[in-house]
Amino acid sequence: MNKKLVGLCSTIALTSVLSMGALAEGIPVLHISAFSGPTSDVGQPYGMGVADVLKYTNQNGGINGNMLDFESVDYGYNAPQAVALYKKAMSRNQLVALQGWGTADTEALVGFVAKDKVFTMSASFSAHLTDPKGTSERTKSPAPYNFFYGPSYSDGCRGLVAFAADDWKKRGEAGTPKFVHMGMNHPYPNAPKESCAAYAEELGFEILNPIEYSLSPGDFKAQCLSLKDGGAQYAYLGNTGGSNISLIKACSTVGVKTQFLANVWGWDMNAFAATGEAGDGVVFVNSTASWNDAAATAGFTKLSAISKMTATDDDYRSVHYIRGVCAASNMVDAMKVAQMKGELTGTTLKDAMETFVNHVPAGLEGVCRPSTWTADDHRGMTEVLVYQTRWNGGKPSMSRVYEANLPRRADWLGW
Amino acid sequence: MASHNTMKCGDFRTTYEKDSTIFPTPFSRKMVLASIAFLLIMPIFADSYVLNLSIQIGYYAVAALGLNILVGFTGQISLGHAAFFGFGAFASAWINNSTGIPVFFSIPLAGLLTMAVGLMFGVPAGRIKGLYLAIATLASQYILEDFFGRAGWFTGGPYGAMANPVSIFGFAFDSDQSFFYIVLFWLVLSFVLGANLMRSRDGRALVAVRDHYLSAEIMGINLTKYRIMSFGISSFFAGIGGALFGHYLGFISAEGFNILLSIQFLAMIIIGGLGSVMGSLMGVIFMVLLPEVMEFAAGGLRDVFPSLAHSMTYLKQMSIGIAIILFLIFEPDGLAHRWRMTKAYWKLYPFSY
Repeated sequence: MNKKLVGLCSTIALTSVLSMGALAEGIPVLHISAFSGPTSDVGQPYGMGVADVLKYTNQNGGINGNMLDFESVDYGYNAPQAVALYKKAMSRNQLVALQGWGTADTEALVGFVAKDKVFTMSASFSAHLTDPKGTSERTKSPAPYNFFYGPSYSDGCRGLVAFAADDWKKRGEAGTPKFVHMGMNHPYPNAPKESCAAYAEELGFEILNPIEYSLSPGDFKAQCLSLKDGGAQYAYLGNTGGSNISLIKACSTVGVKTQFLANVWGWDMNAFAATGEAGDGVVFVNSTASWNDAAATAGFTKLSAISKMTATDDDYRSVHYIRGVCAASNMVDAMKVAQMKGELTGTTLKDAMETFVNHVPAGLEGVCRPSTWTADDHRGMTEVLVYQTRWNGGKPSMSRVYEANLPRRADWLGW
Repeated sequence: MASHNTMKCGDFRTTYEKDSTIFPTPFSRKMVLASIAFLLIMPIFADSYVLNLSIQIGYYAVAALGLNILVGFTGQISLGHAAFFGFGAFASAWINNSTGIPVFFSIPLAGLLTMAVGLMFGVPAGRIKGLYLAIATLASQYILEDFFGRAGWFTGGPYGAMANPVSIFGFAFDSDQSFFYIVLFWLVLSFVLGANLMRSRDGRALVAVRDHYLSAEIMGINLTKYRIMSFGISSFFAGIGGALFGHYLGFISAEGFNILLSIQFLAMIIIGGLGSVMGSLMGVIFMVLLPEVMEFAAGGLRDVFPSLAHSMTYLKQMSIGIAIILFLIFEPDGLAHRWRMTKAYWKLYPFSY
C-alpha cells in the first residue's frame, strides 16, 4: 500500500517536473474559467469556447506563426484563487493577455491588470468596465485594460426594455405598461437595476418595486404571487438559468401572464428544455447567432472546426459557447494586428483592439456580430439581439424576434 | 536551567510564570524568531506567486485566529464569520474613502468597527447555545450580506467599493513585496495577541466557559459577558483580516463573503486544530495550498493523459474533498496535534516510551 502511494506520488511529481520543463516559448496567455463552482452551468460552455479558439489558433499557424503559450485553469469562481493563478502566471512570464470569466475574477483583477498592463477579456458585462478613461462621473475607477464581447448588462436590459416598448405598441392596449426588475440582492442581478429602470421610465413604463428571488433554484411561488398582484406586463429576470427555471415554472403554476425578459446568462435552450411549455415566449439577450442560425452562414465552417477541438461531431453548442468563441476570436484578431505593427504586448494588443470598428472576427461572419472599441469607449456592442423561445406544441425552437440598436449616449458610458 | 535546549522528561515547572510561558524551550523561541527573520527577507527572492499565496495565508490566518478564539477556545459557534470578514473589508475602505484617514490606520479602526457589529450579533450568544446559536449566527451572515447589497453609501451596492492601497507618509505599499510586510506585521501582532490572550485571566475564563459553563458560572465567571466578548474579539480579527484582503485586491465586491467562505473558515480551524493558536495558521496554510498542490498535480497529469484534460477539473475538486475527509478521519485533533506528536517523537528519539 505504502509503496503504491509512494509510486503514485513520485509519478505525479515527476510528470509535473517534466511538464514544467516542456514549457514552450510563445505568447503568454492565461485563461481562467469556472468549470466548477456556482456559475459552472454557463461558465463551462463559455470557457470551452475560449479554450477551443486558443487551441484552434495554435493548430492553424498561431499568431502570424507565433504560438500561443496558454494555459486553461479552473478557479471555481473563487476570487482569491483567481488572483493566485494570475500571480503565478505573472511570476513565470509577463502575460500579454488574460481571458477571464465572471464578476468575481474580473473585479478582483481589474486593478492588477491595469497596473501590470495585461490585456483582459472576460464575460463580466458590468457597465463600469466600459469606461477606460474614467470620464463618466459614475465611474469610480477606470478599467483601461478590460474588454468584453457583447452588450453590457445595462445595455442588454435597455435592449429588452426597447423590445417591451415595441411589443406594447404592437399589442395596442390602453394604459401605461408596468415594468419590474427581478433578481437576488447581489451585484450581478443588481448591475442594471437603476440604469435600466431609468430607461424604462423614459420610454413611458411605470416602474414597480423590485422583486427579490434567490440565485439558487427554489420555490418562488410567493414571488410569483407578488408579481401577479403587482400586475406587471414585463419583468426583467436578473438571475442565472437555474434560478429562472424555478421561477418560470412556479409562475406558470400560479398563472402569471407576464412577459419575462431574461438577461444574457438567464435563458437558453437548455433552460427551456427544463421548463417545457412554461417557458414559451420568454425572451432573452444574445450577442451571437444561435447554433442553428449560424449553420446557414459563411462563418459556420470555422465555428464547426473550432467546436471540433473538443467535440467529435457537429454537436449542438449553446449560445454561451458561441459567445466564448466570438470573444476569444476578437482577441486573436487584435493580436494579429498588433503583431504586424511591431511588438506584441498587453498595451499594443489593447491599442489594436481599440482600432476595431464594426469588426467581425475573420472567418466568423454571420456568427459573431460587429463590435467597435475605441480608446474612450469600451462598449463593444450597443446592439442587442433579443431571442425568443417558442414551444410550438412540443417542437421547441428559438429565434430572433427583435434587434435593438441603442444609441451610444455619453451619459450611459460606464452606467 | 535556561541553558537547556530541550525539555526534560517530567514536569519541572515550579512557578505559574513558567507554566504559562509561550515558548516551552529556548529552542522553540529561537525557531520562531528565525522564521520571522526568514519571512522578513523573503520578499527579496520570492516571486509574486509565492508572495501572493503567503499574503493569502496571512489575511485568512488573522481571520481564522479570531474564529478559533470563538469556536476553539470559548466553545461557541459562528456560521457568519465571512460576513464579518467582509464587513471589515468594506469598513476599512469606507473609513479611508470618506474621512481620508490613511489606510494604515483605517485597518485597525475597521477592526474596531467590526468588533462593535460582532458584539451586537453576539448578544444572542448570551442566551442560547449549540445548534440554536449556530442558526442565530447564520442570521448574521444573511443580514450582513443583504446589508452589503443595499447600503450603497457604505459598500457601493452592486458596483462594489474601491479600496486604496495601504499608504503611510506618502509611501504606498502597492506591490506584493511591500504589502507582504503589512500582512506579516498584522499576522505577528495578531498571533502574539492571541497567544497572550490565552495566558490572561480573560483567556482562562473563555476556556472555562467552553469546558463546563455551569462550573464556570459557579466559580464567578460572567457567562454572558465572556460569550459576547468572545464574539467581539473574534469579529475584531475577522475585520482586520477582511481589511487586509480588501486593500490587497483594491476592489471589494459583496459576492465573495458568502456562507461558503464562512464554512471554509470553520474547515480551516477544524483542520488546523480547535483551541490552538498555532493550529489556526496551520489550517489556513493547508486550505490555501491544497488547491494549488492539486492544480500542480493535475497540470502534470494533464500533460501525460491529454484525453483526461476536461475531467481534471473535477478530479481536482474531488481530491480536495477527499483530502479533507481523510484528514478528519486520521487526524481529528488537527494539524497542531500532529505537529506536537512529531515534536515529541523527535524529542524522545530513539527511545520513545
